[in-house]
Amino acid sequence: MNQFSPRTSRRALVAAMAGAALALSACSGGGDGSGGAGGPQPAGGDGAITVFNGSTGTVAENFNPFSPTALQPTLGVVHEALFYYNLAAGGDPEPLLGESFSWNEDGTQLTVVTREGVTWSDGEPFTANDVAFTFNLLWGTPELNTSGIEAEAEATSDTEVVFTFPTTSFVQEAQILGNQAIVPEHVWADKADPATDINTDPVGTGAYTVDTFSPQSYSLAANPDYWGGAPEVQNVRYIALATADAASSALLAGEVDWMSAFFPGFQEVLADEPDLSWINTPGATTTIHTCSNAELGCEGPQSDPAVRQAIYQALDREQLNQLAFAGIAQMPSTTMLLPDRDEEWIADPEATLAPETPDVEAARATLEAAGWTEGADGIYERDGERLSMTIQVVSGYSDFISAIDAMTQQLAAAGIELSSTQLAYNEWNANQQNGTFQLSMDSIGFTPSTDPYYTYFPKYTTANTLPVGESVGSNNFSRYSNPVVDEAVATAAGTEDQAVKAEQYAVIQEQIATDLPYIPVVIGSTLTEFSTARATGWPTDEDTYAFPASWKSWDNGIVLKNLELVAPE
Amino acid sequence: MRYYVQKLGFYAVALWAALTINFALPRLMPGDPVDILLSKLSARGPVTPEARQSIALLLGTETDQSLISQYFSYLGNVFTGDLGLSVTYFPQTVTDTIAQTLPWTIALMGIATVISFVVGVGLGQLAGWKRGSFLDNLIPVATMFQAVPYFWLALVLLYLFSSVFAVFPTNGGYDVYGTTPGLNWPFLRSAVYYGTLPALTIVLSSVAGWMLGMRNMMVSTLSEDYITTAEAKGLRPRRIMTTYAARNAVLPSLSGFAITLGFVVAGSIVAEQVFSYPGIGQTLLSAVQNNDYALMQGIFLVITVSVLGANLAVDLLYSLIDPRTRARA
Repeated sequence: MNQFSPRTSRRALVAAMAGAALALSACSGGGDGSGGAGGPQPAGGDGAITVFNGSTGTVAENFNPFSPTALQPTLGVVHEALFYYNLAAGGDPEPLLGESFSWNEDGTQLTVVTREGVTWSDGEPFTANDVAFTFNLLWGTPELNTSGIEAEAEATSDTEVVFTFPTTSFVQEAQILGNQAIVPEHVWADKADPATDINTDPVGTGAYTVDTFSPQSYSLAANPDYWGGAPEVQNVRYIALATADAASSALLAGEVDWMSAFFPGFQEVLADEPDLSWINTPGATTTIHTCSNAELGCEGPQSDPAVRQAIYQALDREQLNQLAFAGIAQMPSTTMLLPDRDEEWIADPEATLAPETPDVEAARATLEAAGWTEGADGIYERDGERLSMTIQVVSGYSDFISAIDAMTQQLAAAGIELSSTQLAYNEWNANQQNGTFQLSMDSIGFTPSTDPYYTYFPKYTTANTLPVGESVGSNNFSRYSNPVVDEAVATAAGTEDQAVKAEQYAVIQEQIATDLPYIPVVIGSTLTEFSTARATGWPTDEDTYAFPASWKSWDNGIVLKNLELVAPE
Repeated sequence: MRYYVQKLGFYAVALWAALTINFALPRLMPGDPVDILLSKLSARGPVTPEARQSIALLLGTETDQSLISQYFSYLGNVFTGDLGLSVTYFPQTVTDTIAQTLPWTIALMGIATVISFVVGVGLGQLAGWKRGSFLDNLIPVATMFQAVPYFWLALVLLYLFSSVFAVFPTNGGYDVYGTTPGLNWPFLRSAVYYGTLPALTIVLSSVAGWMLGMRNMMVSTLSEDYITTAEAKGLRPRRIMTTYAARNAVLPSLSGFAITLGFVVAGSIVAEQVFSYPGIGQTLLSAVQNNDYALMQGIFLVITVSVLGANLAVDLLYSLIDPRTRARA
């Protein structure tokens, strides 16, 4: 028996090889047939577009709008919120399922009038009861209640819902109106576990419904009964790609119509493609987060405000823009707001706008006034402590890494030594959360509405920080604590009066412009690429009717229903 | 019989050790899944301070279980096939996630590895049999492909055959536009088509090793006395080459093959990244990036079991092919 087994096994192998060879030749033949001359092509001309929203690997089905891991089109495309907040242009919230809203005097009651004549994608009518149900479900389930508030919603008629809060809650407005998808009561009342239900075949009010799903790709189909009129693009397919390289080649091959990714030399590459265009919508300020508060356990020279000011003064932002940010970054503001969009909220636009060119003399003067003296090697010292800090960055974030390289030289000219350490995302993130860093490259932005409260409250208040060693949960990484700021934030939160708010924000801006717990570097780019081969009507620099990034929830739905099909030739 | 019991016992201990390391390693990594999910969320939109608590509740990470009791419930769950919930793909279970991605990897890497082995050993056998023929020149060429870093070779081929000549697709596991996954002809055909280029790069980059090893073993086997005897008996050269020389020469390659098969799952990460292939390698990468302990443990378990399983199979097979390994002094 032994004598024969190797022989049979070898034959089996030979047969396997022959079979594999056949399969190989068959597939290349098949490929020529199905792919045509130009290789594989998505189905074109049938009203379909393809979106890459940054998902990699396999996709887990999850259309539960309450879930933190819901697929991105769940919010805004399939399910809608009451209002839409345009983070690209600012301005008042635009009505979706809600038509208008008003607060009572002391900010404990919010009344929302909902839209009439809207139907769910299963044909049932939408009423204010669905809105009340959604919020009561959210606030009544600890696993879902990410805002932690205890409030109640009651539908007073079919088109009116009243939210009642235990305390003054003006600041909840954007979360409730613009950041919560409304679900149908007649479907969700029967869900056994709304926290982990993956909501296959979701029933929403949005312009699209889920058509097909597989772990590699899923597609949405236009909702013919959409209250705003059926969208023109009939089919939207979302695909997963592993890397930005793969995404850019898919874009150039015409396999992707909409994506948001930076790739080197995109200006030159896209200039040669008549169907492709790009838009840059800055949404966040690139910052050096500093562990600023020695009282809460921060260690290193950066806990001295003079050092942070010197860094701010010594940066050559124009050079950084050219070297690291492809020349499309904008100058940031010490207010951490976007100077163009948030004009109305910035008290002193000129003084707070970061300079393009460095002022090394001023930086040196700042340091010397704080008692630092220049050492023999050109680096400042104080009480035997060298002015040397480590900045952490996520390895692979190539723009940040080249920015750090340039900053190292720029700061050396001002007598500040910078060394960098590249970490895996997890470790970098854990360091920020726990305060175990000196400097860290990150960014601040993407708030629920353009109200600066959503920047100042989480990043700058004492309530949102903890001593070094305890995780602060994505909030005040800098451990910044300033009673003046705390009080101003609290006052601004307690009013709806824009003038009072602006006054309070001016107080905050004055404080943080000198304290600089987060040092603004530039306003980074958010690059989005479109193909106009199959659809037009994408947001442009002149008409930013929505934030165009393909990964942005809520805005996706606005963009998709605004698109117009290109007639097949 | 005792031989087999000993072998199985050894593998059981190895499995236990691997499971224990598997449990410990992810917990030594920095970071915590709740924080990572929070940071990911805050990069895409607002996160309120209270979100931390609710996400911890949702993921079930807020436990007071001691490490020891976590360890025992882990061991128990492994044997009942319950690998827990994935944080990355929440609320999907780890078992489902692996079941979705593993077949892609096994089909791509498994077939590519087998092709590479068969082609390499076949060519090596011929090259060793006819020393100095043109086949010998093939070896430096093939070695060059192996010497080039795999990701580079893959990127160059991807650029050439997908962007410049557009013969093969640039990414993916099948034509997501025109086919539906399942047992249907268009899907299978497109899956094979999409898998060809990745498979080709894997074969190209690994065939040299098999070829070189097999050729050199052939050469040394051919100088054995029993080959001379066989020739003296007047056997046909073909029979001498296959049954006498190659059968003995292939033994080291075969054990190498077993180990390679075991690493099919682990070795596919780069290939899947370059080709955006929907396999388990990419899943492992995202599990690591998200501190997804449960998913990492699940995938490591698959790797462990496949390495041990392949070794066990070859160990047992070996004793059939080569009786000397069974003999006890």
